[in-house]
Amino acid sequence: MDQNDKKNPPVVGLPRGLLYHRYGTLWQTFFRALGYEVKLSAPTNRAVMEEGARLAPDETCLSAKIFLGHVSSLVGNCDYIFVPRVANLGRYLDLCVRFSALYDMTCCVFKQTDQKFLTCNVDLENGLTEEDAYIALGQSLGFSHKEAKKAYKAAAKAQAQVWDLAVKEQEKLYKSDGLKILVAGHSYILEDPYAGGMIIKGLRNLDTIPLRADITDRDSAVKKSPDLCPTCRWVMSRELIGSIIQHRYKVDGIVLVTAFPCGPDSMVNDMLARSIKGVPVLQLVLDTQTGTAGVETRLESFVDIIRMKKGGAQDAVV
Amino acid sequence: MPSSEKKIATIRYAEYSAAFKYLVEQGLDCQFIVQPRMTQRTEKIGEKYSPDMVCTPFKTLLGTLIEALEAGADTIIMPNGICRLSYYGELLRKILMDEGYECTFINLNAYAMSGKPKDWLNGLKSVNPKAKMSHLLSAGVETIKMVEYLDEITFEYYKGCGFEPTGAWQKAYKHFIAAMYRADSKAAIEKAYNEAKQTFDSVPLIKPPHPLKVGIIGEFYTAVDPFSNREVEEKLANMGVEVHRWMNMTHRLIHYPGEKNLNVEIKEYCTYEMGPTSTANIWAAKHYAEQGFHGLVHIKSANCTPEIDIVPILQQLSAHYKIPLLVLTCDTQTSDVGLMTRLEAFYDMMEAKGRQLK
Repeated sequence: MDQNDKKNPPVVGLPRGLLYHRYGTLWQTFFRALGYEVKLSAPTNRAVMEEGARLAPDETCLSAKIFLGHVSSLVGNCDYIFVPRVANLGRYLDLCVRFSALYDMTCCVFKQTDQKFLTCNVDLENGLTEEDAYIALGQSLGFSHKEAKKAYKAAAKAQAQVWDLAVKEQEKLYKSDGLKILVAGHSYILEDPYAGGMIIKGLRNLDTIPLRADITDRDSAVKKSPDLCPTCRWVMSRELIGSIIQHRYKVDGIVLVTAFPCGPDSMVNDMLARSIKGVPVLQLVLDTQTGTAGVETRLESFVDIIRMKKGGAQDAVV
Repeated sequence: MPSSEKKIATIRYAEYSAAFKYLVEQGLDCQFIVQPRMTQRTEKIGEKYSPDMVCTPFKTLLGTLIEALEAGADTIIMPNGICRLSYYGELLRKILMDEGYECTFINLNAYAMSGKPKDWLNGLKSVNPKAKMSHLLSAGVETIKMVEYLDEITFEYYKGCGFEPTGAWQKAYKHFIAAMYRADSKAAIEKAYNEAKQTFDSVPLIKPPHPLKVGIIGEFYTAVDPFSNREVEEKLANMGVEVHRWMNMTHRLIHYPGEKNLNVEIKEYCTYEMGPTSTANIWAAKHYAEQGFHGLVHIKSANCTPEIDIVPILQQLSAHYKIPLLVLTCDTQTSDVGLMTRLEAFYDMMEAKGRQLK
């Protein structure tokens, strides 16, 4: 491959699922900085999910099924598909084990096609930082250490900027008037229009302000999480726990959203539902069979109960 | 007389309870309560209070803890571990408290978080501050020996018991297990081990020249615990199959060859470590396939994330080596009869394939 070929740069496909919703800007900036063309899979729809469900091992979670659907839509349409392996971001900052297996599982599922995959390995507990991983990836593509490092630095900066802006916007929302509902779920569930997206939309339709627990200052949230769950080891869960601790009294209700059957959530959400006192909590589980009608009904009754409680108090005063 | 009045219990896991008992009685100088053997009630009662989507061992373990409290225990030691097991302790404690059970709950994971063995040992010793560290360490060494013997004898037993019609092996095995629960000294452990070995060596097996051989792989709890997997090993052995299982405490915890050393031998199937027992299982599957085994049985609990993720890899390996693979997902609803039907069909398939090859 000639890396200076500006007219026909190689195309890297990015599946719009799982970690894309955490590192999307980083990936796009990184590959573009190296002169690659980036191709995103289209947003999730029913066909993507069904294709993923057909390909995935039977008992995998909804999010992994959606992810494989996205990969499938890219297969044959790009030179490479990027699937990083992220094991952890430090001690007791693990990702679900599925993220450790994702690269190998994806390659195995698409073994029959001759699609090429790119990966990099982030495993801080074994001394492999994100920077090391992306520099090694750049070098394996034929770039020098310096070029790869420059591309990574630019990518990390762009990702941080996008994130800081999102957090600022979100914090403003807590100060707005109206019924505020904190929606707690992994980014890849809440940002997916076919999974958690309908919850955000449903809450807006009910004239409430949906707030996202995952968009928060991650470092301070992780520091806060041991207050409720001292031995929790999953970084994304810890961010959500910390965010709930910091925001629970600024909202009128909390919706815990999970995809069937999410490993960490299966335990953490039960713990949260048992531990959070003083704020109404609704638990929702999404799977491949979930229709919008069922979710809407449950959200509606949840919001009705909160309104009734609030309204009841006002009536008493009048 | 024990130097502490506490009545200690822990989870039930295959016959390792004998080793837990030895460690607590000899090392911590406390009384140990062994809960009754697991039954369907254990699973029912655990399932009732557990979250729906959690992996099955959580439900089973909650059941065994409740049964331990019913049997008179007042202190629970919850072992630490990797994957979701590391969070079991915290949630189990919360559920027990919420449901009104009263006990001191020692979650060893809280002491394992620093990664320093000394912290962990201090956590264990907090059960009985009067216990001597020197006793704990020497009992620890003997407990490890007991675990090794338990695994070795269990391995030998399932490998041969299908070809021993008189029942002498079964008797010797049961006798050995019972002796492990009674053991109070190193000499007692050695004696029982030697007796079992002697029986296995002296009672002849009536084995066909080429018996069917099956390799069992799977998740750390469900593949090892006979109640959780509905005694798959016993059932296969009774059909006249030589049953091998690499996965146990000895191999995975005490003498683990190391992630890198196993991973390097399975590079054609996976690049990275896919989960806590994934590398070992893929490695064991390949090892069995290369040795000419007739079938692989993959046992996992429902919702076990790492074992679900290696299923496509195992299927690829099975196609590559042309070795039949049976994937068994066990949960609280798994019935004996349904399992038997699947095992019988699997047996017929292996036998038909064996005949073809001849």
